[in-house]
Amino acid sequence: MFIVNFFTILIGKILSGVLHLLGKNAGNLPGLVLCTMRKNALKAFKIDCPIIAVTGTNGKTSVTNFISELFRQKGAKIITNPEGNNLDTGITSLLLNHCTMGGKVKADYLILETDESHVPVVYSKLKLETLVVLNFFRDQLDRNGEVETLILKVNKFCETFEGNLILNGDDPNVARLGLANPNNPNVKYFSVEKYKFATTELYEAGEGRFCPRCGTELKYDYYQYSHIGRFSCPGCGYGKNSPFVKINDIDLEKPSLTVEGEEYITAGSTIYYMYNLAAVYSAAKLYGIDRKIVHKVFEDFKVNNGRMEQFEYKGSVLTLNLAKNPVGANMTVRMINECEQDKEMLFVLNDNLADGHDVSWIWDINFSIFKNVSRVVTSGRRAYDIAVRIKCSGYDADKIVVRPDLDDAVKELFSTTGRKFAVANYTAVQPTRAALNRFIKGEAAGNAKA
Amino acid sequence: MQKLKILHMYPNMLDLYGDSGNMELISYRLKKRGYSSEITKYTIGDGAKTDFSSFDLIYLGGGADFEQQLLADDLLSCKDKIKKAYNEGVFMLMICGGYQLMGQYYKDSNDKKIPGLGLFDYYTVASTNKRERCIGNIVIEADIDGEKYKVIGFENHGGMTDNVKTPFGKVLFGNGNKFGSDTEGYTEKNVIATYLHGPLLSKNPKLADHIIEYCLSRGQGSPVKLPPINDELEEKCREVMFGRLLTDDKKK
Repeated sequence: MFIVNFFTILIGKILSGVLHLLGKNAGNLPGLVLCTMRKNALKAFKIDCPIIAVTGTNGKTSVTNFISELFRQKGAKIITNPEGNNLDTGITSLLLNHCTMGGKVKADYLILETDESHVPVVYSKLKLETLVVLNFFRDQLDRNGEVETLILKVNKFCETFEGNLILNGDDPNVARLGLANPNNPNVKYFSVEKYKFATTELYEAGEGRFCPRCGTELKYDYYQYSHIGRFSCPGCGYGKNSPFVKINDIDLEKPSLTVEGEEYITAGSTIYYMYNLAAVYSAAKLYGIDRKIVHKVFEDFKVNNGRMEQFEYKGSVLTLNLAKNPVGANMTVRMINECEQDKEMLFVLNDNLADGHDVSWIWDINFSIFKNVSRVVTSGRRAYDIAVRIKCSGYDADKIVVRPDLDDAVKELFSTTGRKFAVANYTAVQPTRAALNRFIKGEAAGNAKA
Repeated sequence: MQKLKILHMYPNMLDLYGDSGNMELISYRLKKRGYSSEITKYTIGDGAKTDFSSFDLIYLGGGADFEQQLLADDLLSCKDKIKKAYNEGVFMLMICGGYQLMGQYYKDSNDKKIPGLGLFDYYTVASTNKRERCIGNIVIEADIDGEKYKVIGFENHGGMTDNVKTPFGKVLFGNGNKFGSDTEGYTEKNVIATYLHGPLLSKNPKLADHIIEYCLSRGQGSPVKLPPINDELEEKCREVMFGRLLTDDKKK
């Protein structure tokens, strides 16, 4: 076995080295080759430090970055995948870059964003200490199959998992994982107190309206967003859990939250941001991280990665947000509405493999609530699909401009001044950032000519 | 002005892949012509109080296996009333799971047999290998009011449907009723059952109008022809997708 492991690492290192020499980003490829060559390639690594994994439909990248920042501030040496690469192949590549020739990975903590469907794949081979599960929404259904299938995969993993399980106690799809292994004493839930804009009716398409244990329709005291909220099953009582971390007094104006009697100023001000912080705080509490560090990270740390990222061009402010599924998009539409003034919106929709080829999820976005949106520009491989969707929600077709090319779209958007918002789905977000930066720097070909 | 009465069955259970968008689209296209719509949402237990024959259109979307099982008994309890409505000419539009449930039976990916309503002769069997699914863009050629019309959508189904006597369309790109099938869906004068999500009516405006015209004509007892509306974005969208999918090397 030793010899096999040795050669696995050796081949990976050579591959990685050659790619570096060629000036290529070694992102996924070495891992892809190793995992294809040998199913158990991950077993070749020797890891002594704790591994913390973050999974769920929305918020993985942000929460992984936040938890990493906590440990970094604490002075720990960490290895993480801050930009995704969250499949077994990406994680293999990451470890290859950080291991000795003997396969030893030297760090105090590994903090790994992990794709939901790859949790069992990766952590059947690496020993996991803590798993953080944020939420399960419909997302890329054509790639992942039904949401239920995906949950069952993670659930199966949890049946034999004995490490720390940090779960969103307000998501019935996530909380159920806490029942998977009755012998695991390390199940911990986080919860967020009802906030100002919580509703008593379901506002957007949601998953998990029925009890996973007995099939009865779940009752909700309130919905925070989508199907996240205070739920319980009238049939079997599912849903009653006492939280390990309870976030109180969400103040979206300041913005701030209160937890364990202490108020924390936060950099972001949306309800899903607060849920992300609830998960981060749970990890901080579990690992005994100093509250001073938590204060600092909550107040200052920003994941500038197309997640609520700000751009400015000649006095016009633009906020770009990733929205790769209806829940994310609905949250963004809400946020756009919370900004009272007139604004314009850019929506970039792709249908590449990583997005899912199916774009029908855009019909689960509630555009009928649009307020003071004076113009919409659409772009991306499915620019016309999103244009049709917005039009049929009742929005004036004359105010929709379709520009499939991103540089054209950005130029069109900035042909007027004023507040702007941009929404881009998964593979669209980085090209959109790049197009915005090009335009703002005046390098866009069209702009240079103008 | 005439009001179109729609029964949307199990909207809280059968609403995968934006299928509820079809309701929004019908309402939108009616409104643009000065008509209105009234959508009644049917949920489990509403069978006794529902007069299925009083509607112009009955709609069922697609759902996951879990939800299909939950609602099967309720649907069966409405069998006679739904059959009566269908015989009287109420238009039946069904997508994916809704399509499957109207046939003889549906054997799901857990090998569980869910009895269908038996309105039509076809039956559906899903592979127990959950990975074996027909997934992808699909284009079919259907006959709409005597004219050939390309219908585009997205299919995502594990169930393979057999014994379809009058299919909805001929497959130009994609799978259809089974892996590599030549045919897609099921149709009769007042029935369209199909695997196409997208939602179905979003990129096929002519099909949407055909269904609306059928319902309005039946309602007032004389033929109704809808005036055209601005479908420029829809037409461009179709053009882009056909250009991508129906080039000679990809076409079957």
